[in-house]
Amino acid sequence: MTDELDVLRRANPVPGDGPAFGDGPLDHRAELRLGRLLDGRRTRPRPGGRLRPVWVLTAVAAVAALTSVLLLGGPAATPAIAAPRPLAVLADSAPVPLERLAERAATAASEGSPALRKGTHVRSWSLGMSDTEPPVTLPEERMVRWTADGRHTELVVATDPRQHGRPVLSDEDGTPRLVDDGQVISRVTFPPSWSDAPPAARPPHDTGRLRAYLAETVHGDIRTTPELLDAMAQLLDNWTLGARESAALAGLLADSGGLRSAGALTDRVGRPGQAYVYDDGSGVRHMLILDPSTGAVLGLEETFTADRPEYGVRAGDVMQYRAWMR
Amino acid sequence: MSDDEIFAAAYREHYWAVSRYVARRLDGRTSEVEEVVAEVFTVAWRRRADLPAAPLPWLYGVARNCLANAVRGQGRRRRLVHRLGNDHTAHRRHLVAGPGTETPGDWVHEALARLAPADQEVLRLTAWEELGVDEVAVALGCGRRAAAMRLHRARRRLRAEIDRLCPAPADAHASKDHGHD
Repeated sequence: MTDELDVLRRANPVPGDGPAFGDGPLDHRAELRLGRLLDGRRTRPRPGGRLRPVWVLTAVAAVAALTSVLLLGGPAATPAIAAPRPLAVLADSAPVPLERLAERAATAASEGSPALRKGTHVRSWSLGMSDTEPPVTLPEERMVRWTADGRHTELVVATDPRQHGRPVLSDEDGTPRLVDDGQVISRVTFPPSWSDAPPAARPPHDTGRLRAYLAETVHGDIRTTPELLDAMAQLLDNWTLGARESAALAGLLADSGGLRSAGALTDRVGRPGQAYVYDDGSGVRHMLILDPSTGAVLGLEETFTADRPEYGVRAGDVMQYRAWMR
Repeated sequence: MSDDEIFAAAYREHYWAVSRYVARRLDGRTSEVEEVVAEVFTVAWRRRADLPAAPLPWLYGVARNCLANAVRGQGRRRRLVHRLGNDHTAHRRHLVAGPGTETPGDWVHEALARLAPADQEVLRLTAWEELGVDEVAVALGCGRRAAAMRLHRARRRLRAEIDRLCPAPADAHASKDHGHD
C-alpha cells in the first residue's frame, strides 16, 4: 500500500516544477521589493491590495444571482438566524461632535488606564454570500490570547450574544448550517511569533506615529476614511487598546473628516455608544461606535444602502458588524 | 558577508519556495500570495540578524505567522468573496459533481482538511515542503522530539481519513502524479 505521505506528495497543489512559483530568477516585482528592503525603504504591495472598497466592489460585482429565501429546519428551540437590522440611533439623543469625544479620550488617557493588551476579543456578525445560496448572517466570537513565551492561541466559536442558548448559523465547513450556541469553530495555538511589523508590533500612542503604523498595517497610504476604518479594524483585531492608544486613534478619526455625528445608541452587546456615520454613496455605509465617556472604539457596522435584488441584498442589510470587547 | 548580503542571498534562493509555501495554504488565491510573501520577507529583513545558516525552515515559520495574520484579517472578507466564483478553489468545489469526477488530489485534500490544523501543517511541511523532522521543528517552533511525535500521529490520522474516504488502496486514488518539489 502506498505510504500516506507519498499520496500527499502527489497531491501537492503547487509543485516546485509546476507552472506557478517555480524556481528560477526573481521576477521584476520581487527584485524591486528586494531592492527596496536593501535600500531601507518600505515595501509596498500592489495598490489597493487590502482596501475594503476594492473587495466590497469585487464581491458585489462577482456574486451571482441570489433570489430565494433560505429555509432551515431546526430543533425545537427557535434558531438565532434572523439577520440583525442596523442599529438605530436613540430618538432625541444629542449628537456629540467627534472632536469632543477625542478630547474626552485624551482626558481619559491622562489617567493612564486601562493599559494596552496584546490580543483581542471581538464579536462579529458577517453576511456570508455564495453563488448558490441566499446571504446569511454568521455570528462569531473570536478571542486571541498571548502567553509570556510569545505563543498565542486563537479561539473562534459560533455564538450570538443576543440569542444565548439558541442554535446559530456557522459555515466553518464551507456550508452554512445550524450548530449549537458556543460550538468551537477553531482553536489554534501558534508558535512564538517573530514578527515586529504592524499589526504585530506594539501600536504607538501619538496620532502621527499611529497613522504611520496603520499605513504599514494596510501596506499603503491611508487616503480615505473607509481606509482608515479598515486599518483601525485590523489593529483592533490584534490589540486591545489602552486609554492612550484609544486617544490617539480617536484623534485620527476626528481628523479624518466625513464621519458625521449621528447620536447615541445601544450597541449589539448592550453598551451605550455614540455613533458616527460615513456614507460616500458607494453603496455601503460605515457606522463607527465609540464609548461616549472614553472615546474607545466599541464597534463598526457596515450596511448596504441600496437594494441589490440581483444579489439577494437589500438596503439596510448589515454586511458586517464587529463589536470589540475588553 | 554582512547581514544584508546574507539576507539578499537567502531572498534570492528561497523567494519561490516561500511563495509556494504560501500559495499551498491560500487555497488557490494566488492573487494574495505576493502580498503575503512580501510581508514574510519584510519581517525577515527586520530580523535578518537572527537568520540561521539554513534559513528556509525559519522562513517557513515566519510565513506561518504572516499567514495567520493574513487569514485573520481576511477572514471576514472570505465571508463575502470566498465562494463568489472568482476563486479557483471555490470554483473547483462547485464544479465537482461527485467522487467519480474528482481528481485524485481532491480525495487527499479532503482527507487532509478533516484533520486538525496542527496535523495538517506538520504533514504539509513534510510532504509538500519536504522538510526533515529537524527542519519541521524549526518551522513549528517546537523541539525535535515533539515534531517527530506530531508527525507520527498526524500520519496515522491521515491514513485513517484516507481509508475512510476511499476504502480502495491508496494507489487507486493517487495514481495521477501531480509532481512535487
